Amino acid sequence: MLVVMKFGGSVLRGTEDFKRASFIIEKTFSEGKKVVVVASALKGVTDKLITLSNHALKRNSNLKNKLIQELETQHTEITERGLTKKEIREEINNKLKTLINDLQKVASGIYFLGELTPRSKDYLMSFGERMSTLLLHGFLKEKGLKTKLFTGWEAGIITDSNFGEANPLINLTKYNVKRNLQPLLEKGEIPVVAGFIAATQEGEITTLGRGGSDFTATLLGCSLEADEIWLWTDVNGLMTADPAIVPSAKTIREISFLEATEMAVLGAKKMHPKALEPALKANIPVRIKNAFKPEEPGTLILKKRKIRRGEIVKAVTLIRNVGLINVKGPGMIGKPGTAAKIFNSLGRNKINILMISQSVSELNISMVIPEKDFEKALSTLQLNFLGEGLIQDVAGDKNICVVAVVGEGMKGTPGVAARVFKAVAQKGINVIMIAQGSSELNISFVIEEKMGEKAVKALHEEFSLGKIQ
Amino acid sequence: MRLIIAGFGAVGQSLVSLLKNRMNWLREKYGLPIKVVAVIDRGGAAIEKEGLNPEKLIKTKKIKGTVASYPEKGVKEVLCQEVIEETEAEVVVEVTSANDLSTGEPGFSNITTALKTGKNVVTTNKVPLVLALPALMDLAEHNSVLLRFSGTVGGGTPILNFGKECLQGEKIISIKGVLNGTTNFILTEMEKGESFHNALLKAKKLGYCEENPSLDIDGLDTAFKLVILANWVMDKEVTLKNVKIKGIRGIEKEELTENLKKGYTIKLIGSIEEKIEVKPSKISLNNPLNVKGVLNAVMFKSEISGNKTIIGPGSGGLATANSVIRDLISIKRELMMRMVR
Repeated sequence: MLVVMKFGGSVLRGTEDFKRASFIIEKTFSEGKKVVVVASALKGVTDKLITLSNHALKRNSNLKNKLIQELETQHTEITERGLTKKEIREEINNKLKTLINDLQKVASGIYFLGELTPRSKDYLMSFGERMSTLLLHGFLKEKGLKTKLFTGWEAGIITDSNFGEANPLINLTKYNVKRNLQPLLEKGEIPVVAGFIAATQEGEITTLGRGGSDFTATLLGCSLEADEIWLWTDVNGLMTADPAIVPSAKTIREISFLEATEMAVLGAKKMHPKALEPALKANIPVRIKNAFKPEEPGTLILKKRKIRRGEIVKAVTLIRNVGLINVKGPGMIGKPGTAAKIFNSLGRNKINILMISQSVSELNISMVIPEKDFEKALSTLQLNFLGEGLIQDVAGDKNICVVAVVGEGMKGTPGVAARVFKAVAQKGINVIMIAQGSSELNISFVIEEKMGEKAVKALHEEFSLGKIQ
Repeated sequence: MRLIIAGFGAVGQSLVSLLKNRMNWLREKYGLPIKVVAVIDRGGAAIEKEGLNPEKLIKTKKIKGTVASYPEKGVKEVLCQEVIEETEAEVVVEVTSANDLSTGEPGFSNITTALKTGKNVVTTNKVPLVLALPALMDLAEHNSVLLRFSGTVGGGTPILNFGKECLQGEKIISIKGVLNGTTNFILTEMEKGESFHNALLKAKKLGYCEENPSLDIDGLDTAFKLVILANWVMDKEVTLKNVKIKGIRGIEKEELTENLKKGYTIKLIGSIEEKIEVKPSKISLNNPLNVKGVLNAVMFKSEISGNKTIIGPGSGGLATANSVIRDLISIKRELMMRMVR
């Protein structure tokens, strides 16, 4: 059995975390499984690198140097405390020093040029994962395991040159990864691969953008035809609801890719749907596991799962920090192109729309917008449409939230919407706006912000999500 | 439409109180709801992305002397350009006063920062414009934003738009005008037999001119307006150094009273023809430019339809503030047209 396992930043903070991770790897390996390891940067390091790039760009030499010093200390503390074998510790420390020197040079380059292109930013960002995998590699060596260190490109991940959000050339990557890593696995070695980073065919470093290291893991998984992909994190898996809102929320044992995608978008876990795609295509199960409680089964994401009887809704989520914009006017009725104009003007201002609804009377178009873009969206629409007769009013409401219920069992099951809205109505909550796509995987609706938690609790109760797991 | 107001003197405050009273009217008549998201003055700034309260702004300024004391949203020690750069808004209203005559600061940097960060600009501030109007227009065009300044000439009287829009399709041959209310008031008083000195004192007493009246009486203010007219209406790419300037110092009241008997008077006339010039000129009493007191009058001569003169009051905080609203509406219209394209 071949497992690709990825350790996220939330479980790579200090010495203990590296010990824990190497223990998990050793244990899995000793059970007779072949293992490929992917690691994210240490917690907080990616943010520090972004800050570093800004300091360098703004020519703030002191802050730049201080931050590099901080990054060095953060990593060497872990080797000093965790690596007991002198020769291994020195080897890792020397390599770390080389990386820090390179980082220093890149930051100085930005500092002197006063220029931060997406390309140089990717180069800078790559150091986080390069340093963390170096440490993990050292910890595995310490345990006497045979391991080899790879950057994403050394492993064989080749992308286009869309820096910051590069797209892998899938088949080329598959071919390369297979050629580079398979022989090692046959020899019983453990490849340790830096997540998030790759390179173009010319060897320029790129990053995979959102989904980062998860994406690396699924890419390696599908290239090597892995049996499972494990994503180690600091929670038990996907939950039926936010446990901070619903104490009886349960970890979901099994979920389909489609459901997980819906939930990921809804913020159930910071996992980008793009990252799941290679696993979905190759039909490789993905398991989300808690590194602090490895005995817990976690959540298994499958291409197709059995839907048990009566299992309709899988999870309830609450999306806060959003605003509602309502565009109305009798001038919109029967006028082709109105919606296009509205969405076009928002699109041109780079405003994302989370949710859309229009009734058949065409009197209103309602939209939910992320809070950070809310004022901009409101102003843009007012500026572009008020006063010309097509649209009478553009009004905004920030005191709202979105509640979404997700589940494949909803598809083709009559009466789900009735149950959802009845449960909410019984708590005296008014529904402001509703959207459900024809895939029937998700019903989203807007209510007053202060009613959000109440609604989530009511729905969790209505569909007995605290029991069936 | 979200505004950042840079400068909170007479014009800035008048604008905010106008906006307070006209909010619904602007929304209903022009589809233009307005939010003031930041105000900056010498003491700091007040910033609130959901919109500042106009009454609180004016009250804070009156009592505390700076908007930096605005409850909760006030910030001290903040750089004007940083606020302009970092606050999201569609328009920056640049109405700082007492700009440096050689550099145009702080107005110049406020305007360039706004344009560079993709914000439209409305200003009533002449100094940066007369030093660098062609450059600023270039910058605006490059960044696909608009720069409007109808209040710089004629205040509430729409002289610039009259020349640019009402006369479009006509070739304008010359522009001549009485463009400075203060000097015209003084000359009017001298016509009645007052000495230059006494007329100036009276003007000061009535609040028609600053403590240092040199900008007005030495003809600079008129020259400023000519530069703006020449650029905007006649498409001449000129700045202040292209203007020949002579003010009204040294004119004796006798010159005026004597001329009056013969049917003439003396006005400080700014003219744009081959040359751009400001100088005291003798004109007939029947000339439409013979306006009294603080009035402004501008005569446009065009190829086909001849002379047309627009007359109206040329200054005042409220009238100038109103010109800002005029520009905001014109920006909205232009942006809507771009939407369609």
